[in-house]
Amino acid sequence: MRRLIPVLIPVIASLILFPLLMGGIGAADELPALQVVGAGQQYKIATSGLKNLAGDDQGRISSSFAITLARNLKLSGYFKIIDPASYIEKPQDSGYDLGQFNFADWSSLKAEFLVKGAVEVRNGQVSLVAMLFDVAQQQRMMGKRFTGSTADVQEMARRFADAVMQSITGKRGPFDTKLAYVSTRGGRFKEVYVSHLDGSGAFQITNNPTINLFPHFDKTVHHLIYLSYKTDEPALYVVDLNAKREVRITSDRGRMVGGALTSDGNRIVAAIEHGGYTNLYLLSSSGNRLKALTNDRAINVNPAVSPDGTQIAFCSDRSGRPQIYVMPLQGGAPRRVTYQGSYNTAPSFNPDGSKIAYESREGGRFDIYTIPTAGGNPIRLTTGGSNTSPSWSPDGRYIAFSSTRGGRARIYIMQANNPNIMSAITEENGNDTSPAWSWWLGE
Amino acid sequence: MILAQRGRGGWENNSGRLCRAAALLFVTVALATAGCSSNKSQQPGANGANPNGGIGSEGIGGNGGGSLNKFKNGENLGGNGPLADVHFGYNDYTISDQDGAVLKSNAKWLQDNPGKRVQIEGHCDDRGSEEYNIALGARRAQAAKDYLETLGISADRMSTISYGKELPLCTEQNDDCWAQNRRDHFVIQGS
Repeated sequence: MRRLIPVLIPVIASLILFPLLMGGIGAADELPALQVVGAGQQYKIATSGLKNLAGDDQGRISSSFAITLARNLKLSGYFKIIDPASYIEKPQDSGYDLGQFNFADWSSLKAEFLVKGAVEVRNGQVSLVAMLFDVAQQQRMMGKRFTGSTADVQEMARRFADAVMQSITGKRGPFDTKLAYVSTRGGRFKEVYVSHLDGSGAFQITNNPTINLFPHFDKTVHHLIYLSYKTDEPALYVVDLNAKREVRITSDRGRMVGGALTSDGNRIVAAIEHGGYTNLYLLSSSGNRLKALTNDRAINVNPAVSPDGTQIAFCSDRSGRPQIYVMPLQGGAPRRVTYQGSYNTAPSFNPDGSKIAYESREGGRFDIYTIPTAGGNPIRLTTGGSNTSPSWSPDGRYIAFSSTRGGRARIYIMQANNPNIMSAITEENGNDTSPAWSWWLGE
Repeated sequence: MILAQRGRGGWENNSGRLCRAAALLFVTVALATAGCSSNKSQQPGANGANPNGGIGSEGIGGNGGGSLNKFKNGENLGGNGPLADVHFGYNDYTISDQDGAVLKSNAKWLQDNPGKRVQIEGHCDDRGSEEYNIALGARRAQAAKDYLETLGISADRMSTISYGKELPLCTEQNDDCWAQNRRDHFVIQGS
């Protein structure tokens, strides 16, 4: 009986909410075209379909894998995908490992790199092999075997895209991850959504006609926290993304303003207002107060936890104007990080905690800056429109942010070291704001 | 002490109220009842959480005339009840002399209507940062509450809430519109 209980709870929840929420996006080929702006030197890569060893007679698995792989590689800004219509060799007519196909069929297309593979489907179980080849060297660089259900194929492709980036650039890619954000695409109301960076797997977390704000993942990507006014009284909600249920967190002596989860998801850093002052508190995941982190007659908001879980960055106006500060998660004296600009908010740590991205307001608009956590000179990354809510990718290469550069607010990603390379991630109606880029889903 | 509560308005049905609603909606009485009772017996205020906790707006006494409710219903947020709005400078929360006079008039009404309570809503213009503005709106609401308290209005007749920049009166991008949005709005509660 005990084993049944956890099953019953989500079933009932799903009866109520899931039919409304499953306005998801299916296969990657239904997604809008992707535009990468400003890309410079790019690797030319061919993403061949998969050879059908069994059970993929319509080629659906092969197509889903190849399209998702190509989309994520393109999104990275590092690759130019050679048009599949030009491929000479058909996957079914050749092998997929060294010595089983002709490199000349790919070098003639000017491909520097090639992905080939094979798929076998038995009783709904997918077994998939994918390999990366260096065309000029005629060598196999890397290969991976995946097993799972047919629903996991896009996940396999994203994981392989990250491995391709690892092999070619020396650093794992950031696409086997999720993006949470707020959008008004459903109407007037700000709702929280989660999708992958490639736009697939879109899932609506909230569906209430009020105000839902500030989604943040924990590092395990099992939990998401957000602020909502859905019961009139603003509260933090911690969503268990696997069980599809949530816990409501309120304070009996103050009002929730915002919050973030610690890396392990077991604790919350909450911004709580009392008597006009907003301070940061460390709470247990069920909302019990563990420690006051700040205790000022000031505003302390926007808590962000470093991925190693040791420090927090936040925004405070204790100096008179909102500025970025850092302090140990366990408590201690805050240290001011930003001294340039008079309105600096919304900090996000890079993966090793050495840098902070934040938004800075000047002349009626915001731009994204980065600054060493130890202090130093800020670097401006954006121009045009208003650019807000930076969130660093787990590989440290990219920053997701919201921008009005194209009119409506949309989510973009840019390379932190070369911000001219940029892609729009969301293309729906409405305004998309507050992106949060998760840690990797897989090992 | 921070209180947590599972399931209010959320996915998980822990409260009897939501479970009954589920049963009514889907006529899956047996399943819903089983789920609720199982859940309750397994997690009676799990981890120190109080299943009836939270301050919830019910505790204050309804919020029908509030800006959030108007927003939900697609109604115009403008217009005052018997209590007029007060306004603030950019990134500021001090009560001006002019708005002090408005608050004196509001205090008079509250003294004449001792059975009424008021919720003070703090609002901001849309140029600031979202989360900072929620904290700033709270300061604005608190500033009016403190002022009214000095005029003899008991603190327990007043509550505050901030909507930051989420519920603007006016959506144009100009000084006049921003000034209208930087406001405290007073919502009468109680019979």
